[in-house]
Amino acid sequence: MNVQEYISSGIVESYVLGLASVEERREFEHMCAQHPEVLQARIGFELALEKQAMENTVVPPVSVKEKLMLMIQQDAPAGQSKVITMQNSGTSRKSGMLRYAAAASVILLLGAAYFAYTFYDKNKKLNKSMESMSQSVESMQKKVDQMEEYVKMITDPNVSVVNLAPTTPAKASASIYWDSTTTDVYMVVKNLPKLPSDKQYQLWSIINGQDGSLQPNSMGLFDMSDDHKIILKMPKVQKADAFAITIEKRGNTGGPDLKQVQTFGKTGL
Amino acid sequence: MNSKTTYSEQELVNLLQQRSEQAFGYLYDNYSGSLYGVVTSIITDKETANDVLQNVFVNIWRKIESYDPSKGRLFTWMLNIARNAAIDEIRSKGYRDSQKNQPLTENVDTMAEKSASVPMYNDVGLKKVLSRLKGELRVLIDLSYFQGFTHEEISKALNIPLGTVKTRIRTALIQLRTMID
Repeated sequence: MNVQEYISSGIVESYVLGLASVEERREFEHMCAQHPEVLQARIGFELALEKQAMENTVVPPVSVKEKLMLMIQQDAPAGQSKVITMQNSGTSRKSGMLRYAAAASVILLLGAAYFAYTFYDKNKKLNKSMESMSQSVESMQKKVDQMEEYVKMITDPNVSVVNLAPTTPAKASASIYWDSTTTDVYMVVKNLPKLPSDKQYQLWSIINGQDGSLQPNSMGLFDMSDDHKIILKMPKVQKADAFAITIEKRGNTGGPDLKQVQTFGKTGL
Repeated sequence: MNSKTTYSEQELVNLLQQRSEQAFGYLYDNYSGSLYGVVTSIITDKETANDVLQNVFVNIWRKIESYDPSKGRLFTWMLNIARNAAIDEIRSKGYRDSQKNQPLTENVDTMAEKSASVPMYNDVGLKKVLSRLKGELRVLIDLSYFQGFTHEEISKALNIPLGTVKTRIRTALIQLRTMID
């Protein structure tokens, strides 16, 4: 894009009206510094906009200015504030009194600061404990939800259960709950030992082929690292003669490693 | 009142940075009308608009140190302060609560419908110019400039790809410009 195209791309208007993104602004400021034409275009639009706004004024009520002038008089900025010098014309006795008063006020101030700090500290602690409480409530709620889901599932007459029995000494076992009306599949883990981080479990649904061969379909890889996952919702499946769980390489995309079948069960349907 | 001299923009900025109340009064007299025009094009409630205008000038007074002439003219800087203050106000919970006829759940969708259906005959300034844009471009400028929705929010709400939102807003801005010139 050459400079002319850049100028007529709408960026000038977008920048001036405050609609440009942070990157667009940065780029535009850079372009203004590099190309006088861009700067001229910006000033041109600013003047047009200003003229347009000046021709379309709405007069605000007088009270706004009055309040405003009062406000800015009280709003002297730091470093420029008017200094009021205190006249120290009192006797030494008075200044002694003043010293007591000053000491008393310092003590009061310290006291107030102490209380403020204690309250602040208490408040912070309370907030913290509330936070951790709400976290534990949340995780408990999650567990309750899982349990409820589980109870609903095992009591539903449309749901059939397939128990997967261990096929290795590791004694892996799980149950598959299969809802015949919704074809939803839930897996409840009974015993699946944790795996090294490069391995994952994989659930397969298996259909008996007409030629007697087994046709496995992956229903997903999963980890057993998280103890909370007693129940996992798996992809829906229309038809299955059996389910099996294997141990596979993390992220396996191929077929099942039949030597690694951990647990297996027929649907009996 | 007429005894006041006129200031160049540079002089005015210098005086304001030195906290000249007289210069501030001059600034107010010269620009309050145009900035109020911008504020009232976003906020219809008069009382609220007055409060916002007051805040705008307090902000100008407080932030004048940070005004950088290399990035734009003084008026442009003030215009953006005014627009941002007005948009912050209409997007604040307090303001939405006070708009009894608007449910709290109002979002960019319903805003878009309104923008498309409500004619803007009584508007002044930029809004008047806006009413001359054709339908969709007008909605886009209204949502982005006058209601402060981000390109992303608009893209989601109107179900238009982000890139398209950006190019159409640019197109609308280019048209707006030719109308102002």
